[in-house]
Amino acid sequence: MYPVSPGPARPDRDGDHQLRLLNDAWEKAVPFWRDDIARQFGAHHWMPLHDESRLYLEALRVMMDLLDAAERDTE
Amino acid sequence: MTAIHADIEALTELRAALTRFRYAQREVADRGGDAIEATRASLEASASRWRARLEQGGAELAACRDRAAAADGDQVDCSGYVRAVSEADERLERIRQWQQRIDQQLFEFAGASSRFKDLLETDLPRAEEQLAAIIASLRGARRVQPPGS
Repeated sequence: MYPVSPGPARPDRDGDHQLRLLNDAWEKAVPFWRDDIARQFGAHHWMPLHDESRLYLEALRVMMDLLDAAERDTE
Repeated sequence: MTAIHADIEALTELRAALTRFRYAQREVADRGGDAIEATRASLEASASRWRARLEQGGAELAACRDRAAAADGDQVDCSGYVRAVSEADERLERIRQWQQRIDQQLFEFAGASSRFKDLLETDLPRAEEQLAAIIASLRGARRVQPPGS
């Protein structure tokens, strides 16, 4: 099991942090990997993963902001 | 591993990062779901409390008005009960509005959440497998042993 590293308590912020870590690993791999397989992997796996993760984490951020506001306003 | 195998090293690290990402984001998604459920339950509990107060305030106000009607010329002040009823009504309405906003947002969130979970459970393991095959192929071509073998 890979625990989420200690950091901000909100799940969307932890998710952003995890996406940044993954992005760093991708950036480190790219200079060493420039063949057709790399391009296919980028198009079929990396880009959908990256884009879908960003969409989800943005939707989660909006949701968490709304929950925080609701709790503050109804205390 | 030597510098000439830096590509294998970088891809191995990328694969490990993908696996860590999958586990960590699964937990993030679970915590997001838990937070949504906790807030919805908390709002429902608040709504229930304010409904009870509204009901009780309404009964007290009605009793006060009965006393005022029965008091022959004596002043009976029911303004405190009016304020209490008004406050309970206002708080209840505000909670209802938040519940509606959360339900609407949840409808939009559900699509992104479902796609993301599919990605974590199906697409991401496939990407990891493909990367593992690429790494194995590179190692095989160069006769490089995997670490620990």
